[in-house]
Amino acid sequence: MDADTREGAKGMQMSGRGAGKLGRVGFGLAAAGITAILVVHWMMAFWVPTEAAQGVVQRIFYIHVPAAWTTFVAVGLAALASLAFLWLEDERWDATAVAAAEGALVFGAIMLLTGPLWGRIAWGTYWTWEPRLTLTLLMWFMYVGYFLVRESVASPARARRFASVVAVIGSLNIPLIHVSPDWFPSLHPQAVVIKPDGPDLPADMLITLLTSLAGFTMLFFGLFTLRYAIIILHRQRRIGAPSRLATGH
Amino acid sequence: MTSLRWIGLIAMKDLRQEFRSGGRVIAMLAFAVLACFLFSFSLDRSRVDGLDVAAGLLWLTVLFSSIAGAGRTFDAEEDDGAFRHLLLAPVSRHAIYLGKAVANLVLVCLVAALAAAALTIFFGIAEPGSAAHHASVLFPGAIGLAAAGTFFGLISRHSTLGDSLLPVLTLPVLAPLISLGATASSRVFLGRPWAEIGGSVRLLWAIAIGLVVVGSLLFRYITEE
Repeated sequence: MDADTREGAKGMQMSGRGAGKLGRVGFGLAAAGITAILVVHWMMAFWVPTEAAQGVVQRIFYIHVPAAWTTFVAVGLAALASLAFLWLEDERWDATAVAAAEGALVFGAIMLLTGPLWGRIAWGTYWTWEPRLTLTLLMWFMYVGYFLVRESVASPARARRFASVVAVIGSLNIPLIHVSPDWFPSLHPQAVVIKPDGPDLPADMLITLLTSLAGFTMLFFGLFTLRYAIIILHRQRRIGAPSRLATGH
Repeated sequence: MTSLRWIGLIAMKDLRQEFRSGGRVIAMLAFAVLACFLFSFSLDRSRVDGLDVAAGLLWLTVLFSSIAGAGRTFDAEEDDGAFRHLLLAPVSRHAIYLGKAVANLVLVCLVAALAAAALTIFFGIAEPGSAAHHASVLFPGAIGLAAAGTFFGLISRHSTLGDSLLPVLTLPVLAPLISLGATASSRVFLGRPWAEIGGSVRLLWAIAIGLVVVGSLLFRYITEE
């Protein structure tokens, strides 16, 4: 066993039963999330009223905002797990960071695709160089870099440390993205839900949004849990846990 | 020995090595001049005024030249194993990082000065604005470029993707710096007063210092064996 593999063994103990339990939890959460998102699509089509100023295109709000929320949850989780990995060198934190970063890329792509579709009608352009859009795109590319680093550095131990550092740096502009519509001239609206004096959305729009937020969050945590279990099992197998095939049993 | 002295020694050692061999310095400077030269005739000068685009082209030239140079920061030492010995020396990782970054800063400043002069000549800009104001804008930008380039240069050095990974990592980090710097330089080229430039320069300093601090704090994690 080489040094990288020995280091990779740290924190990799998980029984088959434990992985199976995590897998079931992940599958259940993902299924609940998908169901909630399907319900949201029905609400968007038949239940929630059309917004007066923007018309029917405003309904993309119920996909775009939850995708953005989930992206930031995923990036935050990846950054915190990466910091914990750098500090504790426990492989489980690295697996947590990878699973969260995959979520950040997927939900970030949904956010970056639905935003321009909405912007084309609401702002008259697919893309504009305003601070929140620009910083979000840059953050997403940092997470593309995260996976490029993981895949392209030959030493697995070094690749994990490098990628963790990239994840931490990539998350540094989350606070800036959040406050950018207040600090800089921006086309993004001010917050309508998380406000000191309470949300100022009509009740039916708020219910649709909250259902969608719950659905996206459950879907993310479901996929995250599944990926975490798969990553741990995959690494356990690679570091030498005897497989049935190898031992003939 | 104090950290400051270590930083100075490492920076001087790197610069002496760079100027003796000459390869990286000449490549960075040649790239900067050739990029400015190409910009000058790839734009339709009958429709585009040099003053309108000079600032953006200046910052892009400095950025790409810096990235090209940063990818080679650790080459010589890594190739002969000297970097491993440097890590074993009784010197903090902050000092190693800052020493390397200072050496890169000197090279980036040279590139910036040459690129500014080349653009002014090739675009025929008669009144390019105050040289002191240009330096005040470019210097914090150069610090940020050197800090990020040195840090990510080591990561890309260990990647099989090599120099093609470096822009993917550095450009998202440096984009706010480039945007602010190009805006401030554009105002300098147009001869605007310092009151219209000072705000951007303060933000440039804030970003540059932030990059140096983050690089110093995280450098030890990318140099652990």
